[in-house]
Amino acid sequence: MGLSECWKQLSWIYYQYLLVTALYMLEPWERTVFNSLLVSVGAMAVYTCYVFMPQHIMAILHYFEVVQ
Amino acid sequence: MLPFTKLSQLEPRAGVTNLSETESYFKSTEFLSLKPLNPNVPHNPSLYKKPFVESFEETPLMVAVLTYMGYGILTIFGYLRDFLRQWNIEKRHIARERDEQKDFVPLYQDFENFYNRNLYIRIRDNWNRPVCSVPGPKMDLIERSTPNYNWTFEYTGRVLKDVLNLGSYNYLGFAENKGPCADAAIEATQAYGVGVGSTRCEMGNLDIHEELEQLVARFLGVESSMAFGMGFATNSMNIPALTGKGCLILSDELNHASLVLGARLSSSTIRVFKHNNMQSLEKLLRDAIVHGQPRTHRPWKKILIVVEGIYSMEGSIVRLPEIIALKKHYKAYLYLDEAHSIGALGPNGKGVVDYFGLDPKDVDIMMGTFTKSFGAAGGYIGGKKELIDYLRCHSHSAVYATSMSPPVAQQIITSMKIIMGEDGTTLGADRLRQLHENTTYFRRKLHDMGLIIYGNEDSPVIPMMLYMPAKIGAFGRQMLKKNIGIVGVGFPATPIIESRARFCVSAAHTREMLNTVNISDSWQSKYVRRLKYINETLTYYK
Repeated sequence: MGLSECWKQLSWIYYQYLLVTALYMLEPWERTVFNSLLVSVGAMAVYTCYVFMPQHIMAILHYFEVVQ
Repeated sequence: MLPFTKLSQLEPRAGVTNLSETESYFKSTEFLSLKPLNPNVPHNPSLYKKPFVESFEETPLMVAVLTYMGYGILTIFGYLRDFLRQWNIEKRHIARERDEQKDFVPLYQDFENFYNRNLYIRIRDNWNRPVCSVPGPKMDLIERSTPNYNWTFEYTGRVLKDVLNLGSYNYLGFAENKGPCADAAIEATQAYGVGVGSTRCEMGNLDIHEELEQLVARFLGVESSMAFGMGFATNSMNIPALTGKGCLILSDELNHASLVLGARLSSSTIRVFKHNNMQSLEKLLRDAIVHGQPRTHRPWKKILIVVEGIYSMEGSIVRLPEIIALKKHYKAYLYLDEAHSIGALGPNGKGVVDYFGLDPKDVDIMMGTFTKSFGAAGGYIGGKKELIDYLRCHSHSAVYATSMSPPVAQQIITSMKIIMGEDGTTLGADRLRQLHENTTYFRRKLHDMGLIIYGNEDSPVIPMMLYMPAKIGAFGRQMLKKNIGIVGVGFPATPIIESRARFCVSAAHTREMLNTVNISDSWQSKYVRRLKYINETLTYYK
């Protein structure tokens, strides 16, 4: 039961996303294009954070003289 | 500082006297400081006999930002699709220029055509739905399907029965095919036929038209009236007969296309005042009288204020007591278009003049249509006898357009007698009361759900804000699945971020029918800031 509740909640959130970004009015291939672009840009952002976050954190701590 | 001190030194202009007072009529200091007034609070309450409650809640900021974002995404995809169509990668369904015309000024490059191709057509299955029964409180629709995303439609062969009709302008429920009106119309058809075959001025003046006009004049409380075959043509063909060059028309921001067309055809100067805003109107009147015509500074031949009774996209009612006070003070004329308010407002159904309890002789030209509350077609103009006699000779509609068809005229006569109570039953009074109850109940119900509703508390036109373009399409389709037919309104008729769904309640709706309208949480349209929106039980889209 918990899984179907979860699925319903997710599909409601996806429906709201379609309405707000006006993807509801577009054809399925256009939705695929937009979603792929969004997912790829999001994935690139996450990867960049993962690679560079340790260096940035060390630089911030060095600036505030918490660590030498 | 406004140059009011010079007024007393001027000669009295034609039609204008007593301008030596240097204060504005309403003696409001807010006018002189030009501070914007709160539209939700009544000003000059002494002119109103009962509370005038209107509300136009502001768009929440987040919603406006998201709506613009949605339009931005649609525009980008619109450009992409136009590119694909241009380079023949995709099949083209739309009208386009021929190759020989490519060197001329482009025909389909402007914003309206772009909007039409890429935004309107995607959701256009919500409009132009074929109705195959009487458009009463419930109607039958022919179901359509589209193989190529709304470029072309096909009938599936099914008929959707008993769809609740919240879109027809059927305020008193006279759109019916049984009952006294229909029987009288059948008799009139058997007596006169359906076509008239001529214009009013030639051979088209039947005795049923004379009877109708006398009845309309009695109903409105004016000296005389004239009826035309088409409501749009009443406005657009009669305003040119009333004003001309050298006259000034002051029209409301949100006036109907027929009034705008009539004003433009008349070649008078047109100035627009903010919607229902008396301070803006007064400023325009004062400027017009002080400065006169643009280059020569001669006085205007006449000043005509053009307003509507109920504005159909906003649901707001005109502030008539204040306008009449202004018109008397500044000696202007008033043209009141009661297309939606005749029959729907007022304790006796006599329109917005009856609603405010004013004298119909104060309004110089009372215009209205028979389409909405009387279940027929056509328009009328009422006023003084000299005015109507002049219009009978000089109106374009009287001289060139065919006169009203006899069964239609008979339908109006019968329905008007029912409203006035002259047929001996209480049917008219019952319907007026039912309409008022339905309006109050439906507005209260939608408001308690937390949706933003525009307009006056007493107007039967109820616009519900949706804001986002995808929601107009989705709302229309969802409501049709639940067997409710509504009208969604988008860009050219409303400002671009203020899309709405417009409900028109009718006296023929019962409370059970109105209770079936249950707008679930799927819409996230419950933006009213006063209610704290607690998302405890979610209703899911199936």
